[in-house]
Amino acid sequence: MTSTQARSTGVISGLARARKGVGLGGRGEQSPRPRRRFSYRSVTLAALVLPSAILVALIYGYPAVDALIESLHNGNLVQTGMFVGLQNYSIDFHNPVFWQSAEFTVLYCIVGVFGSWIVGLGLALLLRQKIHTPGLFKTLLLLPWIVPVVVTATAWKWLIATPASWVPRLTEDLGLGQVLFLTTPGLAKTIVCLYKVWLSFPFMMLMASAALAGVPDDIYEAARVDGASAWQQFRGITLPMIARSTYISWILMFIFCIGDFQSIYLLTGGGPVNSTSTLIVLSYETVFGNFQTGPGIAIGFVMMVVSVLISVVLFRRIRKVQIA
Amino acid sequence: MSASDMSAVGAALPTLVEAPGSTAEPPRSRKVRWPYTLAVLVITVVVLIPVIVTVVLSFTPQAQSTSHSVFTLENFSYVFRQTQVLTWLRNSLIATVATVVVAVIVAAPAGYVLSRSRSRAISGYALILFIAQSFPQIVSIVPLFVLFAHFNLNDNLFGLAIVYVSITISVATWMMAAYIDTIPVALEEAAWIDGCSLFGGFVKIVLRNSLPGILSTAIFAFLLAWSDFLIAVVFLRSSGNYTLPIGLQTFFSENNTEWGYVMAVSVVVLVPPVVVFGFLHRHFSVGGIGGSLAGH
Repeated sequence: MTSTQARSTGVISGLARARKGVGLGGRGEQSPRPRRRFSYRSVTLAALVLPSAILVALIYGYPAVDALIESLHNGNLVQTGMFVGLQNYSIDFHNPVFWQSAEFTVLYCIVGVFGSWIVGLGLALLLRQKIHTPGLFKTLLLLPWIVPVVVTATAWKWLIATPASWVPRLTEDLGLGQVLFLTTPGLAKTIVCLYKVWLSFPFMMLMASAALAGVPDDIYEAARVDGASAWQQFRGITLPMIARSTYISWILMFIFCIGDFQSIYLLTGGGPVNSTSTLIVLSYETVFGNFQTGPGIAIGFVMMVVSVLISVVLFRRIRKVQIA
Repeated sequence: MSASDMSAVGAALPTLVEAPGSTAEPPRSRKVRWPYTLAVLVITVVVLIPVIVTVVLSFTPQAQSTSHSVFTLENFSYVFRQTQVLTWLRNSLIATVATVVVAVIVAAPAGYVLSRSRSRAISGYALILFIAQSFPQIVSIVPLFVLFAHFNLNDNLFGLAIVYVSITISVATWMMAAYIDTIPVALEEAAWIDGCSLFGGFVKIVLRNSLPGILSTAIFAFLLAWSDFLIAVVFLRSSGNYTLPIGLQTFFSENNTEWGYVMAVSVVVLVPPVVVFGFLHRHFSVGGIGGSLAGH
């Protein structure tokens, strides 16, 4: 049971391992250090990590440096161009669309993280009840996460995008008039956020299920003997017992949301009039739509700095979440 | 197809005693609570409407079609015969399989080191992996686009696979490490005493016992590479090199989208991941993401 548990929470223990990292101010685990600096053991271990380290350097290290350089030049996709200092950043910061996108990015991340967490946790709790074929339902409920976004975005569009679609026809029949979901900014934002929750709740459900499986039943029995209500048990036992896993799932989902391009781009393309554009969509549009490479990369670079900072800060907080 | 796999999974679970209307059982009762089952059923159907709609429309005749039946295969026969769907399917398979194979080859040794070593350099590397995971992909794409142009890797499925492998690398390494954590070090120590090298111990003892972890990593890499849109839309230029998610976009037009064809291609896109997941879910209910996806 415990080993299954350890396996099924692979991401969690990976993070827990990184959490011990010295770079975050933590201390590495106390362990005997090899006496010789280049022992056979350390050379072999280094060789085993090397392929992965080369890829990380190539796909993350090099582009991060290169993106910083390009964001300071007025080049295009072919040439680096002239050094222009912080002009690209200044163009972005004076662009109202940038701030509008930043605002929607915040909203999108908040709804994406907490909306999918509430739905996912709720379903994980429901699936723990004595229902018929829980395995089948659990698998089916994972489909929004397994089916590629290109497919589900298409299906969502078919359901809501045109006046002839099902949902607009339904609202018309209900006497709410013809509602054009993806051409009204406020509604488009709502739909994009709903879609993100729909896409992400299975991940949260998995994380919550794995965490809930690790809570011993006898605690609940003891609480029932003491007369605790279901809500009191949830607040007093379930939430504190799964607190660490919950924080980790929030952090991961935040990373997934802030870096999410395709679910917005495929559903609305960032429209109408940029209302559903997040920073990553704006960055893509600026580089590949308007061919303003410098300002576009500058947006990406700002996002990178912000998301790395936020995730490292959240990451350090994990340590402070102790089981009550 | 996958549905039958999945119902087999359901049937394989201990069949619960059917007792309609029973309430207020003692806590350890195995009796099914039908109100909860009904609630889960309704939620599942509502949640799956977009998926159901996709499948139903792919088998529904187009509006202008001459056939009057409610079921048709003509959408599929059209997209397979008249469009490049088969080429795109092949391209998607090449890019995805290459990604899965390389991701496992790279992540397994790195996961082993993360699991076994306690040195500062390695915990620093674990932190780098975490930071890499929080990089927005858009930051990597433009510099890589410029870099890959020098090596003829733009508009190339292997260039695509290199990027996919790197995107999966953090989670894949964590998954392998988490699985290898569950393999006792004592097994390797016994092999070392018998004269096995560290590397030999990794290959002969650890890798041999890591199949569930490897499969989980593979599923994860498969799902990510198969569904990617952003990397493919930037790097692929010629329609002969498109992967399915990009090819699907060519079916949309401003005024007159043929939804039957769109949904038929959508079904071609959705079947492989669902089948792969359904199949592996059935055979490997523990291990890494397989465990967290399918574990009970």
